[in-house]
Amino acid sequence: MLLKQTLSRCSAFIVAGFLLLSTGPVSAQNLENGEQLFQTLCARCHGMLGEGSEGPSLTRPNLVHAPDDAALVSLIVGGIPGTGMPGSRQLRGQDGPDVAAYVRSLGVLPPEDMPGDPVAGAEVYRAVGNCSSCHILNGEGLGIGPELSKVGQRRNAAYLRRSVTSPEADQPRLVDRFRGSLQAFLTVRIVSEYGIYEGMRINEDAFTVQMRDMAGEIVSFKKSDLISYQKVQGHSLMPGYNSVLDEKQIDNVVSYLMSLN
Amino acid sequence: MKLSANLKSKLFSTFLLLCFGSSTVLADTPFEALLNDEANGADWLSYSGGYKSQRFSPLSQINTANVDQLKVMWAYQMQPTGINGAALQETTPLVAGDVMYITESPSSVTALDTHTGRMLWHFVPDISNDVLNIGFPRINRGVALLDDKVYVATLDARLFALDARTGAVRWETAVADNSVGFSLTLAPLALDGKIVVGVSGAEAGVRGYIDAYDSETGERLWRTFTVPAPGEPGSETWQGDDWQTGGGSTWLTGSYDPDLDLLYWTTGNPAPDWNGDLRPGDNLFTCAVLALDPDTGEMKWFFQYTPHDTHDWDANQIPVLVDGEFEGRQRKLLALANRNAFYYLLDRETGEYLLGEEYSFQTWSEGIDDNGRPIVIPNTEPMREGNLVWPSLQGATNWFSPSYNPQTEQFFVPNRRMGAIYFKSDVEYEPGMPFLGGGEQPLDGDDASGAILALDVMTGEQQWEFELQTPPWSGVMATAGGLVFGASNEGNFFALDAEDGGPLWFFNSGAHIRTNPMGFSVDGNQRVAIIGGQTLFVFGLE
Repeated sequence: MLLKQTLSRCSAFIVAGFLLLSTGPVSAQNLENGEQLFQTLCARCHGMLGEGSEGPSLTRPNLVHAPDDAALVSLIVGGIPGTGMPGSRQLRGQDGPDVAAYVRSLGVLPPEDMPGDPVAGAEVYRAVGNCSSCHILNGEGLGIGPELSKVGQRRNAAYLRRSVTSPEADQPRLVDRFRGSLQAFLTVRIVSEYGIYEGMRINEDAFTVQMRDMAGEIVSFKKSDLISYQKVQGHSLMPGYNSVLDEKQIDNVVSYLMSLN
Repeated sequence: MKLSANLKSKLFSTFLLLCFGSSTVLADTPFEALLNDEANGADWLSYSGGYKSQRFSPLSQINTANVDQLKVMWAYQMQPTGINGAALQETTPLVAGDVMYITESPSSVTALDTHTGRMLWHFVPDISNDVLNIGFPRINRGVALLDDKVYVATLDARLFALDARTGAVRWETAVADNSVGFSLTLAPLALDGKIVVGVSGAEAGVRGYIDAYDSETGERLWRTFTVPAPGEPGSETWQGDDWQTGGGSTWLTGSYDPDLDLLYWTTGNPAPDWNGDLRPGDNLFTCAVLALDPDTGEMKWFFQYTPHDTHDWDANQIPVLVDGEFEGRQRKLLALANRNAFYYLLDRETGEYLLGEEYSFQTWSEGIDDNGRPIVIPNTEPMREGNLVWPSLQGATNWFSPSYNPQTEQFFVPNRRMGAIYFKSDVEYEPGMPFLGGGEQPLDGDDASGAILALDVMTGEQQWEFELQTPPWSGVMATAGGLVFGASNEGNFFALDAEDGGPLWFFNSGAHIRTNPMGFSVDGNQRVAIIGGQTLFVFGLE
């Protein structure tokens, strides 16, 4: 399955012929070289497909430390001071730009057509959906679910549609450099002598757990004080909106979310 | 003479104490002190707390009854170096007298006053930002002490002898060529008049070796390669020129038995890591432990844990020397919890295989046969389309240290519980470039976990486990106070009850912990130390 993903990604670029980066045109050969170097130098921390593990995910168009391609080449070769990113100074000649091109290719999603009207979708988001009761968008709303201000940068149409209709279908991960990728919105149920709590895990170690309850309040527990602690896999605290919104409204709200980039 | 110099130093310090009210005793470290390191709880003179590498503190002032009252006595923030990517700290502090010696990544050395944590001196070698570190981070695991010198092995493959009082360079020597991928990250091991080091670099296709240097002059006394040249014993396990790029690096500090006068050193993976087609055969002496004559480097025996390894399961774990009764007979043993998920006991006089028990979930072997050879399950090698195998390349444990309590015969090991999809690919050797032949995608996050395990040292049977949120990168230290100190990626430094693994105390250091605990005392008061992120914390009761 992983190989299939790799091949389909490569073939997309072979069909496209070349990719134009600010450092110049990039051929399929450059990408192939970049991919090979990536797998030997970078995959150990960033994952074979750049999805992240010990290092952060690279499958997104905007990389925090690399606002442009020159900066990306520079950090691949030189590393990032103050972090565990060591750099690969053994890269020579075109190798650095080739790895950068491959990294960029991981985050370049083919442009998608919007299925509906984003302006109408904004109204669905505000009114029928009442999405701001759980999400912050451009500074407005309650922060129980993920912040959505730039969600169009990170997620494609199919993902956003699933998030609206079957929110439990995807379990996004929060990449932590030293802990690997933890589930970002894991539902937890906690019973302590003070009551029963259901909410989203914020953080956890061997001794403590922090969660956000359905009122958006943060609660921190010592595990030794708990009566029970359950991690609920494959569950989302967000209800599916299939029964609330019709198809057109879903198309519109998905388009609105896509436009947030 | 060395002892008397030490005595003189102590007398002078006592004089200072009388005159000025306080003093910091900077003690020399004669070989005799190293021989006594295990029993001497006040100091911590070598990487694993003694030649047996048991990482056990005989102090019991801090114990199960009062460990919950531990507090930070002082902390030390490490110095920025300007070297990129040197943010991980894996050093084990050493303590001699009232001075602590630590390394800071990539290869600096700092001396601290154990009373106050104030810096006494700081040595920064002239390492270029272009230094190669292929297959591992820019780290260092600590120094060695011998007589009046401190020894540090550097990322660019040099060995320095520093003056213990000032940090000034007494001598330096090139151990290997960094431009082809050799590095040194380990704490050297000091023996009688010699300093032993090993090399990193199998991910760059180096041919590994172990070196010994004269502690006074830096002259190389011997070199033992871990991959034999044609005609040498073991060369029948290689084909063609594969041996020239065969790996077998020696990147973790070994152990020493002064009675048998044998040095034990472990070896890493064959190269390239994941494409075994490119190096048919057992690939001796990779993924093995070697018993060497410390005067000549001559190999007295070897035991290969993972023949023809294709998962990067280096045997670079700490070989713990244990004396005890095995199957009704008193024996000198070598215990090692291997990255390949099996716990082994060998007779350390002869290298005879005695025991191999699975201590962590794995999917690659049906067990270990009577000769100590793993019974490999077919189709568990890396594949071009990926192949899911437990444990991951980082193993069921790794370089971070286990601990052995000789009083209870318990072996404690930090355990990584994670599988990985292993890939195989083509690769051609090019000097100074990665020589891997594949890669892996770990099943991390909530699919993985970790634990501290207590094993019966003689059977490998698990007595208890303490579960950790994620696969750890830090070691453990047992103490005579009935405790096991450990640490986690989440930044917890904690103490477990050695009897049942119950948590008795924890502290949030505020950053990932990626090193080993150690212990010592200051003016008779017990201390334990750990590094979280860039900060060294020293704990005590008073």
